[in-house]
Amino acid sequence: MRKSWKTDSLDISGDWKRAFPSAASSQSPGLSVSPLKSPSSPPRPRSSDLALRAAMARLRTLPLALLFLLLLGVPALFSVALGFSADSPTDRRLLVLVDDLAIRSSHSIYFRSLESRGYELHFRLADDPKLALQRYGQYLYDGLLLFSPSTKKFGGSVDLAAVLDFVDSGHDLILAADASASDLIRDIATECGDPAALVIDHIGHAISQSDVDHTLIAGDEFIKSDVILGPEKIKAPVLFRGVGHSLNPTNSMVLKVLCASPSAYSANPKTKLSNPPSLTGSAISLVSVVQARNNARIVISGSLDLFSDKFFKSDVQKSKSSTKHEKSGNEQFATEISKWAVNVRHHKVGETVEPAMYRIKDDLEYAVEIYEWSGTSWKSYIADDVQVQFYMMSPYVLKTMSNDQKGLYSTSFKVPDAYGVFQFKVEYQRLGYTTLSLSKQIPVRPFRHNEYERFIPAAYPYYGASFSTMIGFFIFTIVYLYNK
Amino acid sequence: MFYLVAEIRALIAIIGADLCCKSDHSGRMGKSTTSDAQALIRSLCAAYSATPTNLKIIDLYVIFAVFTAVVQVHVLFFNVYRYLHGNSWDISLQLFPLRSAFLCRTAVLAVCLRIQVNKENKEFKDRPPERAFADFVLCNMVLHLVITNFLG
Repeated sequence: MRKSWKTDSLDISGDWKRAFPSAASSQSPGLSVSPLKSPSSPPRPRSSDLALRAAMARLRTLPLALLFLLLLGVPALFSVALGFSADSPTDRRLLVLVDDLAIRSSHSIYFRSLESRGYELHFRLADDPKLALQRYGQYLYDGLLLFSPSTKKFGGSVDLAAVLDFVDSGHDLILAADASASDLIRDIATECGDPAALVIDHIGHAISQSDVDHTLIAGDEFIKSDVILGPEKIKAPVLFRGVGHSLNPTNSMVLKVLCASPSAYSANPKTKLSNPPSLTGSAISLVSVVQARNNARIVISGSLDLFSDKFFKSDVQKSKSSTKHEKSGNEQFATEISKWAVNVRHHKVGETVEPAMYRIKDDLEYAVEIYEWSGTSWKSYIADDVQVQFYMMSPYVLKTMSNDQKGLYSTSFKVPDAYGVFQFKVEYQRLGYTTLSLSKQIPVRPFRHNEYERFIPAAYPYYGASFSTMIGFFIFTIVYLYNK
Repeated sequence: MFYLVAEIRALIAIIGADLCCKSDHSGRMGKSTTSDAQALIRSLCAAYSATPTNLKIIDLYVIFAVFTAVVQVHVLFFNVYRYLHGNSWDISLQLFPLRSAFLCRTAVLAVCLRIQVNKENKEFKDRPPERAFADFVLCNMVLHLVITNFLG
């Protein structure tokens, strides 16, 4: 039975943009976890963003995990700017909390790169008594940059819980620490991950005229993700001086973007090392990113200097390496903001309208369009691993969708022989991209009484038996009556 | 299943009664088992050949009905087998065992008729065989009406 149904289309967009300063020269490496917006991003329909938010709201739990600590030496610049937001990527406001307004000038390249991408930066001292993240229940900012490693206590209404709430509500956070990191800053980082934070001293991998401790390290153990760090390989090591942190291996949402080399260890360079360092080698994370299930993004860097103009401009030479890089690697960190928009359709094979309900054993088609925010425009997202589930308690159908090279993913399948409330689910999590989590509820009903096949082949023996018995009865009657 | 059991018990009772009435216990002690069995079968055939023709017709009909029911049970098992091996199960097939039971019932009705028209059965000697046959026909009509109602 065919019926026409009303069309109901759902537009879900999630976005996360990752922004890495791209210009080789003056980009300052920075991890920005926040909703950085790009100036040229086209405004997205707000409704779609809201829809995504709604979809994400369920996934609220935010196991932030992460942490940092580590001092290293060697000039390298590293910048990761991740921005995520479910809202329009333009006109984003970032609150920058600093210990000292001098950071504004000492890290000017990084801040300028943010502004050039359209972010509105608000600088405040971390102990400003009028500090507030929200007013009348509305957050005033879309992202928070904590460049105040030594702050013991925030001013105004901001405290640890307020910062965590800010992230829990889907906002982005960039946290930079250094060797002087206060308990408060460590607490925030701990909430996001591993509590162990140790100062680390890195030997052997940095060459610098002034650095005798080898605490300045050149990191080049990057995460292998085009999405986070951009499609171009980062050519030069990134300079890092600060604390390292370890990641809780049970937390799958944390990624080491930059980890220490195998010869690194975590210790205080000023004291004699009596015990083996607890953190060594590549277990030490220098820069980590967290993407929470609500798509809030957090970047935790163990080094505030990493974002500084000095590191941005300095040259890099790794010890035992003859190559000298004119500029530290921040230039390569430019990546684009990518954002996703999704449009979902489903209908029965041979029809175009979207039904409100399916029947068991219907053939249906499901299609979804996925776009990626490239930093300047919406591009269709091409991949061959996007799967859709037809889900009720567990996936009854799991199919990889084929795409038409224009971002339209589609597949068709038969509704399973089970009725109930199903969901079309697309759970797509790829390193560096906003988690795509779509689900659309659709009821599946059983056959109506007149939709069963009237006569089924499997029952022909029964039909035959019924009639043969009737015929047999008739013949028996005649024979019995006339046999005398 | 109930009907099937009832039917088999009725058949055993009838055949047993016939054998008791007709056989002369001619088996001898000490003979080989094979010749005993042959003698048994021979005496069984001899005894059964003395059965009135109308009872033989009824027996034939009972055998036909039981055979039909057995075939259906096998078909049912075949469907269960298919189901267990991954083919889809049509829920309407679940009604067919019931239908098989209905078909068995016609055999039960025939056995009842046989009991009543058997002249050697004194229990129903005051009931004329015409009345018994009429009952049989009426019950079969109702039965087949119900079965037809379940078709399709």
